[in-house]
Amino acid sequence: MSTGAAELLPSGGDALEFLDAGGDIAGRSPLQLFWGRLRQDRVALVSLGFIVFLIFLAVAAPLVVSILGLPGPNVQNLNLTDSFGSPLGPSLAHPFGVDTLGEDVMSRVIYGTRVSLEVGIIGTGISTLIGVVVGMLAGFYRGWIDTGLSRLVDVVLSIPVLLLGLGLGAACSVRGCAKGLIQPGLSTILFIVALATWPYIARLVRGLVLSMREREFVEASRALGASDARIMFREILPNLAAPIIVYASLLVPVTILLEAALSFLGVGIRPPTASWGQMIAAATPIFNTAWWYMVFPGAALLLTVLAFNLLGDGLQDALNPRNAR
Amino acid sequence: MRSTRVMLFAVVGVLTALVLAACGSSSESGSSSSATGNGASVVTPAGYQSSVDESLSGKRGGTLEVLQEADFEHLDPGVTYFALDYTVVFATQRPLYSNEPNSNEPIPDIAAGKPEVSADNKTITVHLKEGIHFSPPVNREVVAQDVAYAIERGANPNVANPYIQTYFSSIEGMPKAEGGPIKGIETPNKHEIVFHLTEPKGFFVAEALCLPLTAAVPKEYAEKFDKSKPSAYTNYQVATGPYMLKNNAEGKVLGIGYVPGKSATLVRNPNWNAKTDFRPAYLNEIKIHLGGTQAVIDRQVLEGKSVVQNEPVVQSAVKLAAEHYKSQLDLSPGAGNRYITLNNKVPPFNNLDLRKAVYAAVDRAALDRERGGTLVTNVATHFIYPTIPGFEQSGGLAGPKVDYNEHPEGNMAVAEKYMKLAGYPSGKYTGTKTVQVVGASSAPEKEDAEIVNQTLKNLGFNTKLTLVEISTMYAKYCDAPKEEIEVCPTVGWIADFADPQTVLKPTFDGNSIVSTGNVNQGQVNIPKINEAMAAAELIKGKEEREKAWGKIDEELIENAVAIPYDWEKSPRLAASNVHGVAMLWNEGSWDYSFTSLK
Repeated sequence: MSTGAAELLPSGGDALEFLDAGGDIAGRSPLQLFWGRLRQDRVALVSLGFIVFLIFLAVAAPLVVSILGLPGPNVQNLNLTDSFGSPLGPSLAHPFGVDTLGEDVMSRVIYGTRVSLEVGIIGTGISTLIGVVVGMLAGFYRGWIDTGLSRLVDVVLSIPVLLLGLGLGAACSVRGCAKGLIQPGLSTILFIVALATWPYIARLVRGLVLSMREREFVEASRALGASDARIMFREILPNLAAPIIVYASLLVPVTILLEAALSFLGVGIRPPTASWGQMIAAATPIFNTAWWYMVFPGAALLLTVLAFNLLGDGLQDALNPRNAR
Repeated sequence: MRSTRVMLFAVVGVLTALVLAACGSSSESGSSSSATGNGASVVTPAGYQSSVDESLSGKRGGTLEVLQEADFEHLDPGVTYFALDYTVVFATQRPLYSNEPNSNEPIPDIAAGKPEVSADNKTITVHLKEGIHFSPPVNREVVAQDVAYAIERGANPNVANPYIQTYFSSIEGMPKAEGGPIKGIETPNKHEIVFHLTEPKGFFVAEALCLPLTAAVPKEYAEKFDKSKPSAYTNYQVATGPYMLKNNAEGKVLGIGYVPGKSATLVRNPNWNAKTDFRPAYLNEIKIHLGGTQAVIDRQVLEGKSVVQNEPVVQSAVKLAAEHYKSQLDLSPGAGNRYITLNNKVPPFNNLDLRKAVYAAVDRAALDRERGGTLVTNVATHFIYPTIPGFEQSGGLAGPKVDYNEHPEGNMAVAEKYMKLAGYPSGKYTGTKTVQVVGASSAPEKEDAEIVNQTLKNLGFNTKLTLVEISTMYAKYCDAPKEEIEVCPTVGWIADFADPQTVLKPTFDGNSIVSTGNVNQGQVNIPKINEAMAAAELIKGKEEREKAWGKIDEELIENAVAIPYDWEKSPRLAASNVHGVAMLWNEGSWDYSFTSLK
């Protein structure tokens, strides 16, 4: 783990002897400083590598499945169950075994990466966008705008997300809702995920903006005649990048878990599209006889969430070394 | 009429798990032979406990523990309609007629003999036994007026019996009854009750007298509870059976013998007279623990003592039991049918050949494997299922001889033949309509839906598969004609009593189609079949009825109105020291009046 900027100093001997070496002191950009710190954090780097691997898997899923000689994720082979209907376990042809429909679990785990990353990244992106805008407006304008938006945040936070999901699932799963605006599947999941998570970012951003709007550089911009929008988005927002990035990175695993939970409850991605949460739900009643059906998608979910969490911690350390662990 | 897994909510409006079966009429009384003629013995695998032929003897004494995930729906005999509820109701209440656990043949319970049906089929007379008493605090003898009141209160909106108009509407005055005296029900003396009908349906109505609605209710005691909406009688009910829900001196059951969501406790009825009853009532007490998770419960029962479970066993536990606890697994044929509905009314499945093509293509054996395989299912080839009269007449196990019905694993060549006949020369559907498939999200219904969906895709259909909670599937989609859902892959039906009319008429008669709670999901409305049903309904005589309804069943298959794929052999689990006796007529649920400890 990074311990902060001090790590960048040469080790051994006099830590300041390079000052006497007559060389120039190289200026480094914030990005260079960030990367310099991050690359010292091996756990974060491994997590980053794993996430890159997941992204590759998601993008190249058809290719990977083809190279591995696996059937497609939705190819049913109803002969791959025993006389009780229990799926067959891992074998050379099906390294992760098959499910109750004879679908290849490895293939479905690979394709399931797509759903998790789509929801994790797009969902987080949407909620971050909403949260930043709302938090920025509330913190910058204060007064009745702040009061109104803050109460809105309170209201949204009081919505039981899983119950909402179950309700939407029941009401909108066949024909859609709101004149087709809310359709079953990924869009519903994204809607619920964004709805559930934007208030947290909004609160964070509002607090930061409240303190930052009094700073000298903001006063200077205002004195120079900058518009409110310019001050908010060109002056203040860049200074919020670090905490927003850190928080968003930690929000990704939350949204992935939320998608898994909704799919587990039958509200999420529609079959036959592969989703880890849906696979875990389907595996629950047959865990005694088909452990592989739960273990592999479960492990994929665990490792993905863990990777995003550890990367988020690493980013926090690298972007804000004073708060380093 | 009860559809498997909730459908019956069609009538009731609420639904949850599997619904039940009920009494019946068959050709012979006795144990295993009663069902044999209707296919039960043919489909029960050897070496397992079976509700068809298990011993009814036992040892007296002991307390049985029951682990039950779901709570009861209704324990009032005037309302009850579900298999789980029946386990308690038939241990505590005695209708006019009841079934021995291994029989579909109803025998007199509080009735003294068989119902006497007049020659014109419009009057039924039943004589009652003497010496049957209500449990405390009522204590007095049961009389005919108590049976009359039990039926009258069923029409009270505060009680709202779910099947009273379905089976008893031909009783004079019943259609307008609201809880008061009904003109067509007379009690000439304390031990005689007479039913006058407006239509010649006496034979069929007499069969329905085994429903729990006919369990005696003391008017002077229950009337005050029936005035509240809903009736509070269930919380103060008295018993006529060998057991009663534990109560206090005032008769209060709620919070004592029944704690919703937590427990129910059955104790011996001190006023029960064994000489008037066929039930042995071996157990001293039955403690029912509510809640938990089925997969865990199943395991607890297999490895426990003096304990049973009473709900459908999860597939993995069936396998575990079959491999390691064979003697603790009880199988009960005749636990209903399951089928895929195709909407006969709207395109594309208003095309008969297209329906036949889908019928031919579906791998029905695979659908059954999702439910535990051949041990607990049989591939259905028609709608009247084993143990129900008319099963053999409509083809028995093999079913009607049509080529699309002869390949349980599905046959794409036959399917393509019918696709071509339907006007698709390529053998694949080339229409533009997207077929809406709505299934349930729980196992194994989810898997059923996915298999059916893939089959449709293989035939060239564009599909939209949606999985929802099972009660939503029925209430909002499959049972709602206006939604025009083309395919519901996982519906089913369980007879209320063993007459083939109770299987076919509610589900496939065009006159049964209603705007909500419609259990004719495929909107089958074939005039010729409707007329045949109307005629068969009036037939008096078991053999004639079996023949007529068997023929109707064949015609339904010839019209491919839906695709039957499963005849259930419901499994139940008991601990090794329990001699469980299952009710053949009630989905194989344990009969607490016959079950004993070893």
